[in-house]
Amino acid sequence: MTRWQDMHSILGAMDLFRNQMNSLFYQFDRTYSLGHGWETSETYPRTNLSDTGDNLELIAELSGVNREDLKVKLQGNYLEISGSRKADIPEGYTVHRIEQPAAAFSRSFTLPYEVNAAKVTATLKEGLLTMTLPKSEAAKPRQISIQ
Amino acid sequence: MFMNENQAVSQDQPTEPVRQLPVITPAVDILENEREILLHADLPGVLKDDINIHIDNGKMTLSGRRRLQMTGATAWREFADAEFRRIFAVPQNIDVGQVHADLKEGVLRLHLPKSESAKPRRIEITAG
Repeated sequence: MTRWQDMHSILGAMDLFRNQMNSLFYQFDRTYSLGHGWETSETYPRTNLSDTGDNLELIAELSGVNREDLKVKLQGNYLEISGSRKADIPEGYTVHRIEQPAAAFSRSFTLPYEVNAAKVTATLKEGLLTMTLPKSEAAKPRQISIQ
Repeated sequence: MFMNENQAVSQDQPTEPVRQLPVITPAVDILENEREILLHADLPGVLKDDINIHIDNGKMTLSGRRRLQMTGATAWREFADAEFRRIFAVPQNIDVGQVHADLKEGVLRLHLPKSESAKPRRIEITAG
């Protein structure tokens, strides 16, 4: 059991490191097209995670993805965002250029805390998926009264 | 109407943003049929009012600013506030006054209709 927990914290640290590295390269990646710069299927969609005390807030860049083509899976502190971006070519049009092709994607994260999956909210608006993930009771910050 | 508004704005000197935002080239799809050229641009997180399209002298500048609402302490960050900007050459046969656009799911769909004279036409041959 303890060994498993150790593994988890190591993986969590590695995730954090990878994300830091990704943001380091961000400035150099001026185009969004796959196959250019540093973006690979490993880092799509891009995400931001912040901690507001009671909640974790995750934002993912998912322009052109429909709500019904998006799937979010959550278990403890493991989060998986997967889905597909459908081709959007109206009938009768000739294609000159496609820089963001239709593709399936999947990305998983180890969140820094366990969250209460029943109370998670997610909205997709303007091409951004915004999730509010309430921390599980044990993970919340707590005021300790001194006797 | 959409275009006129933007043209009016761009006649003034563009005001420099207080803080220089990183500039990102948005990914685009370019499609065409007999009636129009259709451009799709990925602008995740950009609101309608923060998009500016300016056509002048055969050049179209598309720009949009993204302002994210960020709260709390950052655990990781892979994207940030940015300016999406890209310049396109617009063919002569586009009817600039008829250009219109809509924004959905972070994708801007810009319709550039061809002028009447540029549309394919069937020429009737009259018997002499």
